[in-house]
Parts: sequence; C-alpha cells; structure tokens
Amino acid sequence: MSQRKQTSDWEAQSVPLIFGVLTTVAIVFLIAPTLIVLVTSFTDSQSLKFPPEGLSFRWYLALLDADQMQRAAWNSLVVAFWTTILSVVLGTAAAIAMARSRNSWIRVADALFMSPLVLPALAFGFAALIFVHQIGFRPNIPFLVLGHVIVCVPFVLRTTIAALSQLDSSLLDASYSLGASWWMTFHRVTLPLIGRGIGAGAFLAFMASFDNVPVSLFLADERTEVLPIHLWQQIETNLDVRTAAVSGLIIIITLILMIIAERLAGLTRQLR
Amino acid sequence: MHRGHQLRLEGITHRFGEFVAVQGIDLDIAGGEIIALLGPSGCGKSTILRIVSGFISQTQGRVMFDGEEVDHLPPNRRAVGIVFQNYALFPHMTVRQNVAFGLEAQKWQRDRIAPRVDEMLSLVHMREFAERMPRELSGGQQQRVALARCLAVDPKVLLLDEPFGALDKNLRLDMQIEVKRLQREYGITTILVTHDQEEALSMADRIAVMSRGCIEQVSSPTEIYDQPATLFVNQFVGTTNIIPGELIESDATACRVRLVTGETLEATSRPGLHAGAKVVVSIRPEHMRLQDEFVPNCMRGSVKAVLPLGPYVLYEIELGAGATIKVSAPRRAAGDSLRALGQMVHAAPAKVAACLVFPSQ
Repeated sequence: MSQRKQTSDWEAQSVPLIFGVLTTVAIVFLIAPTLIVLVTSFTDSQSLKFPPEGLSFRWYLALLDADQMQRAAWNSLVVAFWTTILSVVLGTAAAIAMARSRNSWIRVADALFMSPLVLPALAFGFAALIFVHQIGFRPNIPFLVLGHVIVCVPFVLRTTIAALSQLDSSLLDASYSLGASWWMTFHRVTLPLIGRGIGAGAFLAFMASFDNVPVSLFLADERTEVLPIHLWQQIETNLDVRTAAVSGLIIIITLILMIIAERLAGLTRQLR
Repeated sequence: MHRGHQLRLEGITHRFGEFVAVQGIDLDIAGGEIIALLGPSGCGKSTILRIVSGFISQTQGRVMFDGEEVDHLPPNRRAVGIVFQNYALFPHMTVRQNVAFGLEAQKWQRDRIAPRVDEMLSLVHMREFAERMPRELSGGQQQRVALARCLAVDPKVLLLDEPFGALDKNLRLDMQIEVKRLQREYGITTILVTHDQEEALSMADRIAVMSRGCIEQVSSPTEIYDQPATLFVNQFVGTTNIIPGELIESDATACRVRLVTGETLEATSRPGLHAGAKVVVSIRPEHMRLQDEFVPNCMRGSVKAVLPLGPYVLYEIELGAGATIKVSAPRRAAGDSLRALGQMVHAAPAKVAACLVFPSQ
C-alpha cells in the first residue's frame, strides 16, 4: 500500500517537473537568440561579438544614413501593406462563402487555400518567377504583392473561419427577420462580431509578408529589394553590424504591435 | 389595437433529401390567436417555424397571410417576428440599439426611432436598462428585450421558438404571464413552438400536437387533455396508465373491455372499434379512486410504492398479469393517513368518460 502511494507521489511530482523543464528549455531557445541580437545591436564596436564590450546607440544612428537599407525597409512596408489589404479582402470573402456553404467541394477549396502553408514556399516562389516570365513580365512590386498574398491569405482565412464558427447563426436570422438586408446584416452584425478574428489574421498576414524570404527571393530584384533579403546579403558579404540594429528595431516594433493588438483585440484568444 | 393577421398553412410538405421533415400540414390560425406547436424534438415543429419565417422553402404547399401567398417573400420581407430560444440579442449593441435595429432596417425616420424604442422598452418594463449591454442582463430581462425588439417593427405574425426553455421555473411562469399579456394587448397572431406540454397548455388558445412530421390533433388545451384523438397525444400530454385488453361490446357511447388482468372495465367508445378488437385502455392517474371494498368496474391490486408529493400522493399499484398503474390521490386534510405498502386496494375510474380506448399498436 505504502509502496503504491510512493509511486503515485513520484508520478504526481515528476510529471509537472518534466513539463516544467521542457517548457523552460523551449522558452530559452525561443527567447535567447532574440535577446542576443537585441543586446548585440547596442554594441559600440565594429564586430558582431557577443557579449559586446561597450554599449551605444551608434548603429541605430547609422541607420539614419543607410539609404539602401531604408529603401529595402520601405519596399517591405509597402509590400506588406498591400499584401495585408488584399489578403483581408480575399480571405474574409472566401471565409464567409465557405462558412455559409454546406457543399462538399468547399473542403477541396479549403485545402487548396491552405496549401501555401504546407507546400514549400521556395518551390512556389520559383514557380511564380517562371510564370511571371512566361506571361512576358519582369518581377515588379505588384507581382511581389500577389506572390505574398498567396502565402498570406491562409492566415486571414483561418482566423476568420474560426471567428465565423463562433458566430451564432440565430443572430443573422434575427437580423433578417427584423427586415435587414444581406448588406446591413453583414456590416452591422457579422463584421463587428468577426472583426477581431479578421484583425488577428491581418496582423499575422502583415508579419508573414514583412519577413517573407522564399517568395521574395525569386520575385524581387535589385530595384525592388525587400528588407529580409537585403539583411541576408549584408551579413553574407560584410557582417554589417547595422543588420543587428535593424533586427533590434523590428523586434521592438513587433513587441509594441503585439501588445497593442493584445490590448485591443485579444490577439492570442483569436489564434486559439 | 388591430385584430391580427390570419395565417394559413396549406398542404405543407418538406423533405431534406430523402427525409420527410413535415408532411401534409394544414393549419388555419385566426387573427390574434396564439397556437402552440407541441411535440417531441425532431417532430418537425421547428421546420414549420422556419418555413413560416421564410428561412427554408417548403417542397410543397403554401403559406398565406390574410389569404395572400407569401412564399416568394424572403425572410426580411415577410414581417414575421421571431423570439429565439437563446434570445439572439446582438451582443455588441446596447439594449436601445438592439430594439432600434429593426426600425433602422425598415427605414424609419430617424426622429421617430428613439420615441418608438422608449415606448417598446416601457411596454416590457425595461426602460431603465436601455443603455446596458445584453450580457449585463438576466435571462428574463434578455427575453423582454428580445420581445420588444421583435414587436417594435409591428410584425404580422409572432413566432416564439421554445422561448421559456432557458429560464428557471419561477421566472418561466412570470414570463409566460407577461408574454400572454403582451400578445393579448397587441392582438398579434402567434405561433409558440415548444416541447413543454405545460407551456403549451397554459399559453395557447389551441394546441397542435405533432409527431413525426404530422399533426395528430388540433384542439383547445382542455380538449387535447380530456379527449385526445390518438394514443400519442394522450401519452405526450400529461401522464396516463395504459392497460391492454380486448373489446367485448361497444355501442354509440360506451363500451366494455376485458383487461389482461381478467377484470372488465367500462369505457368511452371510439368510432371504428368493434367487439373483438385488441385495444388499450387509458386512464389518467388523477381520474382514479382507491377503495378498500370491491365496487363494480374496478381493478384489484396491491400497493407497490407510495410517493407523497405534497398536494397529492402518488401510488403505484400492481395489478394481475404484470400490469402496474399509477393513481394519484389528493390529500384533503393534513394528517390524512397514507395507504401501506402491500395493502390490497381497488382502483376505480372516477367516471366512464375518464376511460378512453385506443386501437392497440
């Protein structure tokens, strides 16, 4: 009897212990690189050495004169902006159509829409480049946006479908029975109630576009160079410390955006 | 006060693929009448509700308001108000915005909307809650708001879909009285969909009892209870004892049945049932009396269980041939002694009219 009690005591203690250790390891691996980059970006020396010997803002200040980097960042923002807009419109429309339909081909459409998340984006980027050349164009910003939209729509689609499935259909019935048109029902009832889901999807789509490499690698050229690719090239050629400063900037801005999104819309709740 | 709109369902049949949800429904509802569709879940009552409100188009048949067909009208142009089981208040709008929604949808002039909302909220005693959000209200309050929102646009027909199911018992009774008051005051033609017999009996002018997509009987509550047309209606509304037997003789008003227990019982005759037919006799527990002595027209048995339920006592009596019946006896005075377990008693129907026969299934 006491033997069994000891075993169960050991089990009761060991399970939380193992999970605790695993979680800690996971968190360390998640956060450590981010922290290292962040700390390194404040170095006052010419190298990317960690830990830095002294601290300064000199590399952040250097960004003010980094024309090429600024152009790349601006390109990235423009592309991410339009990608988000188009992804939200297309993703929301598709989600509403798919949520309303009981048709069996909807499953096929759903799988198709989600495939960019599963298929290697590198293969898609290469295919897109061939396609653009086939129809007689050179890669440019609009094509880059289109490429990003394809890999970003799934984020909006997922969160919007999740929000729609939470939406009580009797609310829509109530709206119609009170005399409201489809449009009034959509913008007065449906949209406000799934808005947070769409917002969460938009946030994810923006971030996914902003740091997308595989698609941009093929669809962007020197004129339309985007930030992640530019940073990669800087590191590869001359270990530029300014890349650490840019990374630090992106990390800080992302953190601020996440906090705002969490406050406004409960982002993490929408992603569950 | 208007008289209310007349509603007519004519030969309504609806199939979902192979499944026949409702079949050959004919129903005439007078202006201002409140009729209950009563039946177990899956009997087709919700399908009828969705057909009347226009959310599904029936396979066959017609829906008519005041003699005019409305089947071509979409839900938002049918002028059918619905109070949903979960009230379906818009969670992101205040009470005032909820009630104003229908008025805005129907393009009321802006300056007429606010007074109308106030009027409707006063009607349901919710005026001081106008700026609250639905989640801040209790179930009963939400229902009042749902009702106000519905009545504000002056619908031709009001549909109540299991409206009291989510309320606790005391509140349910209050809301039933309240809804009935509003319905009378407005004289609005109303369909109450419910599986709760008490709700139907207390609220409705007439009850349509449904089973497996068909209407079994449409009658007043007392008629449904006292003169059920079918065994299903008899068993679904109220409780009853069913004892199998065989019809010995039958005339226009009365008949005699030999029960499986060997005793014979006099019952109300039913057209179409003749001597020799296998039947069941149905007697409600409250329509029987327990006697110590043998009387003509009774069943002998022993007390198997005694359940004192406050105003009355429910006895379970074991008859011969494995049959048991329930008899409820009113307690006329405090301190009345109860019958003992195992005691031999004679259960006799209070009246011949209380004994019904149905063909055995």
